Amino acid sequence: MMSFDFSTPQRQSTAGIIIMAAYTLQQVIRVMFVPMAILLIKSDKASIFYFIIGLMVLLAICLIYAYFYFLKFTFYLDEKKQEFIVDKGVFNRTHLAIPLAKIQQVNINQSFLQKIISVYSVALDTAGTDGKEVSIKAVNEKMAYSLKEHLLNGKSALQGGEHIVAVSLPQNNITEAPLIKINAATLLKIGLTTNYGRSIALLIGFAYAVFHNMKELLKAFDNDHGQIEQFFKSGFTLISISVLLAVLIILLLTTNVIRTFIKYFDFQISKHQQSLLISSGLFAKKNTLLSPNKVQITAYNQNYFQKKIELFNMVLKQAHAGKEQSDKETKNNNMEVPGCSPSEKDEIIQMILGKLPSSGTMYKPNVRFLNLPIFFEVIIPVVIFTVFYSYTTLVRPFLPVAITYVVIVLLMIYINYTKHRIMVSTDFIIKQSGIWEITKEIIEPHKIQSITTFQYPWHKSADVGHVNLHTAAGTLHFKYGNYTEIKQLVNLWLYQIESTEKTWM
Amino acid sequence: MSKFTNETIDLDLLPKYEDTQLTAPDPKYWNVIAINILLFLAFLGSTLTLFLIFNEQAKNHLFLWIGLFFLLAVLLFLIYRASFKRRGFALREKDLIYKSGVIVETTTIIPLNRIQHIALNEGLFSRMYKLSTLQLFTASGSSGNIHIAGIEVEKARAIKEALLSRLDLSETSSKI
Repeated sequence: MMSFDFSTPQRQSTAGIIIMAAYTLQQVIRVMFVPMAILLIKSDKASIFYFIIGLMVLLAICLIYAYFYFLKFTFYLDEKKQEFIVDKGVFNRTHLAIPLAKIQQVNINQSFLQKIISVYSVALDTAGTDGKEVSIKAVNEKMAYSLKEHLLNGKSALQGGEHIVAVSLPQNNITEAPLIKINAATLLKIGLTTNYGRSIALLIGFAYAVFHNMKELLKAFDNDHGQIEQFFKSGFTLISISVLLAVLIILLLTTNVIRTFIKYFDFQISKHQQSLLISSGLFAKKNTLLSPNKVQITAYNQNYFQKKIELFNMVLKQAHAGKEQSDKETKNNNMEVPGCSPSEKDEIIQMILGKLPSSGTMYKPNVRFLNLPIFFEVIIPVVIFTVFYSYTTLVRPFLPVAITYVVIVLLMIYINYTKHRIMVSTDFIIKQSGIWEITKEIIEPHKIQSITTFQYPWHKSADVGHVNLHTAAGTLHFKYGNYTEIKQLVNLWLYQIESTEKTWM
Repeated sequence: MSKFTNETIDLDLLPKYEDTQLTAPDPKYWNVIAINILLFLAFLGSTLTLFLIFNEQAKNHLFLWIGLFFLLAVLLFLIYRASFKRRGFALREKDLIYKSGVIVETTTIIPLNRIQHIALNEGLFSRMYKLSTLQLFTASGSSGNIHIAGIEVEKARAIKEALLSRLDLSETSSKI
């Protein structure tokens, strides 16, 4: 049993100086990487000696800076104001006060270096309008978990009239039996079937970086005569497209599997008092504590392959701060469960929503749903193609491609239409959508922030309209519904929001 | 527990947001809209003039360009006039309704217990007519917020105060 007194200013773990130094060094090197590399290549042997000395000096400066940063970095819990206070900065002093009530999530992470010297970083996600994030880079394991406990349960403990905040660390929080555990076989399946988009982006980024860096390097040697471009040109003529495609697909799948393993290795969800503790990661272990009532949208999706092997991908979307945020930040607020069986999916939903939603009444969109996409994605391209077809012979060989395009797009639009549904029951609203990957988003009416209904003038006679349900984690759209029914639903939801005592967070 | 009831809700008996009597924006606000349209047209007109001066080919179709310009001007005024007539807001006991839209008819409803904060904004031209814009923010980000333009300053302040006091009320009640 160990306890910490968080009511007085605390410092980080002394080993943290190394982390801080490494962090500073990393930033410095990141800024100076290209000039340094060029200097290293261009210089003769004598100056390499000075270069190494320079590096040592840089390292020493980083260490000294890290030491002062360590001295000046303190954090504590203010019981009276119920705030978590962080003071930091060597030259610019920053005083951060975070109201405990605004803390959404406390993440305990460990990077590779942190793993070596066995410290953890504690990061706080706040729901403040400023969207500021606080992270403490180096504390030992017990302090990290104890701090997390305090920050998340601090409110009630403080209100209990305790003067010294000293709560013992439960020893069993790691050994507790996990609710869901994803094994390697499942991870392999996940890697083979999902998230192609992100891997493609990663590969493109990587390819670009390699290409760019090789050119830089050759330039540094004054040897750039366009070899790389030449290689690509001859490469494309030599290797037939089909082989290239096969290689690309294998590369894509391999990247996908590796990425999945790095990110989700040893993925576990366990119940931790009122919250869910989610941990995963191969090199860097990521721990996230999530309280169910802060989840705004519970979504799960399944693509065609996943449907065959009965795997679901779940996303628990939390409130993002009032301000607009970048995609990355929004993603950080979303907890992803990469793969779970139907029963595990139900278990998570049960944990978060309290019960399994019944599907309720289903509402379908009007056939007019098809009009716009068909016009823009089929009719206009077909007209353009026909014009070219009749005036030039250039596009004639592509006729089969064009026909395939029309068939596939028509099919996709139609599938999208048949999958666009909203299911309404007393306690839940479920929105279903998708073509290849079918997503279901579940919200409770009291999580709605505001409702927008809208109608185009030419849909008035057909009684067709749209509704947007705005929540703190995103908007649910239902398009081309029966407007009379939509209005009725809106009135019901308004009644539910306004008559309930439940808050959205 | 004896007070607990769980009657079936009759959907048709619920208050209907679509039948709520809406308050139109102040008639003076039309002037503000008109000034804005005129400014836009002046900018567009000067660009068009420059284009006509420097482009030899376009000079041949001088009247076509001028005709298009005036058609656009008339269309803009008609559309905005129609949308101005349709605009309106209503403060109900438990929510606020705002209807607007240039072509699309949009109605946004914010339950009062979901309002995060309220702001009053007075634009340059609005201030000349003693008008202001009432902005209601929720936690959903920009998509779910309401901006009601063209309310008399005094009235807007009164609404803001009323809403704020209610926010405080609900906040204290939730703490207990």
